[in-house]
Amino acid sequence: MNGPLFRHAWRSQRLKLGVVSTALLIWGLLMPIIYAQYGSQFQTLMESGILPEQFAKFGNGDIFSLPGSIALGIIHPIAISLTSVFAVGFSAAAIAGERQRGTLEVALARPVSRRHFYLTLLAASFGFVGVTMAALLAGGVIGSAFEGVIGQLGLRNLPLLWLNGVLLFGAIAAIALAASVSFDRFAPALGVTLGVVVVMYFLEILGSLWPDAEFVQPYSLFHYLKPKVVLTGAAAPVDFVVLAGVIAMSMVWALVVFPRRDLAAPS
Amino acid sequence: MPAIATTGLTKHYGPIRALESLDIDVHEGEIFGFLGPNGAGKSTMIRLLLGFLHPTSGEGRVLGFDSVRESVAIRRRIGYLPGGIALYDSLTGERLLDYLAELSGRPPVRRAQLCERLELSDRTLRRLVRDYSRGMRQKVGIVQALQHDPELAILDEPTEGLDPLMQRAFYDLLDQLKAEGRTIFFSSHVLSEVERVCDRVAIIRQGRLVALEAMAQLLARRKRNVEMRLQGAAPRLDDVPGVSGVEIVDGRLTCHVEGDVRPFLAAIVGAPIVDLTIEPARLEEAFLEFYEGGEPA
Repeated sequence: MNGPLFRHAWRSQRLKLGVVSTALLIWGLLMPIIYAQYGSQFQTLMESGILPEQFAKFGNGDIFSLPGSIALGIIHPIAISLTSVFAVGFSAAAIAGERQRGTLEVALARPVSRRHFYLTLLAASFGFVGVTMAALLAGGVIGSAFEGVIGQLGLRNLPLLWLNGVLLFGAIAAIALAASVSFDRFAPALGVTLGVVVVMYFLEILGSLWPDAEFVQPYSLFHYLKPKVVLTGAAAPVDFVVLAGVIAMSMVWALVVFPRRDLAAPS
Repeated sequence: MPAIATTGLTKHYGPIRALESLDIDVHEGEIFGFLGPNGAGKSTMIRLLLGFLHPTSGEGRVLGFDSVRESVAIRRRIGYLPGGIALYDSLTGERLLDYLAELSGRPPVRRAQLCERLELSDRTLRRLVRDYSRGMRQKVGIVQALQHDPELAILDEPTEGLDPLMQRAFYDLLDQLKAEGRTIFFSSHVLSEVERVCDRVAIIRQGRLVALEAMAQLLARRKRNVEMRLQGAAPRLDDVPGVSGVEIVDGRLTCHVEGDVRPFLAAIVGAPIVDLTIEPARLEEAFLEFYEGGEPA
């Protein structure tokens, strides 16, 4: 890993990281409050049969329990979008964006190998994802404490949930960086990554809402993020292994492709 | 050991032959000009040397290191100014130079001197790069390439965007670097600057080497433009060795003289010359000779 490049990445993203982390903290804070204020009412509503049962299963989250509401907060499109600012936006732009602007060759004219360059940016992406996930979970803890329901939260399982989230968004970041090293322009790298994320998210939500489509869920990375299960202490190691495997495959792709690519003059 | 040596260096992009079997060597301590029109393959050659591109065949060595397998070692010892340099717009000039120096892993021992020479004040360096003019960006580009005092500087079109005063300051800087034993390899299509600073020059055309020779030799071979005003009959110059393009209009004779001038001088002895001007052709004309010929060598 290259220290100056790592510090430069953090310095250049610090404002954005602060804004996104604050937004995620506030979002995380809201979920326990909604659970505490309206959870029992929603449960009554669901039990009345007015709403389809599947509405209680959106992304394996719900608002009838504290772990379920925190899970819903994590899998909700708002949280996914905010976390994707770094997992997708930063990572897709990290190399393809620099290449398009022409600054990549200024940096690579220094004694930094392309592999180190890639690995440093991957580490920075993981760092950003780690901070944003921590902010989201911190919001959940603060909200739970504020509503006096923190006893229902398995605090000792939070680090494992953080790891589960970091592995999911880390896998997305690794895919984005693999796309980033493969293209000369930012738009294709972003397009490929967003396409993967949107399709996978769609598969997971579709499977969670429609029992006949449950078979597609294992094809989605989001299926291996299981906040409710992790918070209740029933985490399955296979979920972590699958996400780590995707990260490893993306890294192998990038480490093979990037050093072998021709970097012609930017047009 | 040459600072740069290429052997049969070739780069094809599919059917496009960007560089074809290039053999050049750049000696340590010289200023080497790499000339050619836009699209001739100058930047391709530089990018091959830096390891940004992989050669189709042949090899390049920089400071003794292989450009493919040891490109990191090369980049540890050189300074590079890309053509039309792009900089990090969101940084100040000072922060940018600090960052690039940190990446180089060598202290910016020459920065203060370079900034003074190129009139980059502390106040200017504290401004964001996005507010810089093109000339200021180019100056910062030159500083970032040379601030860590590299053994070899590879400069792609270094005076682009510099005003004439800054160009002169830059040429003086090159002279100083050369005096201190540094090697400069720079590409350009501005012939006057190559003529002004280079020891040797390579000329490429359509990816092929057309000429590689000392600047003094290239200039010695160039034609001289002769103009004389006469009061009476013009001397017979048609058969004089080295003389060409003889034209006589209203008592004014113009011609070109190439090589040894003595036969020409002998031929005009006794001619009724009122005024005589002999001036060397610019390098442009010598350069154009290579391009007006047939296929490159």
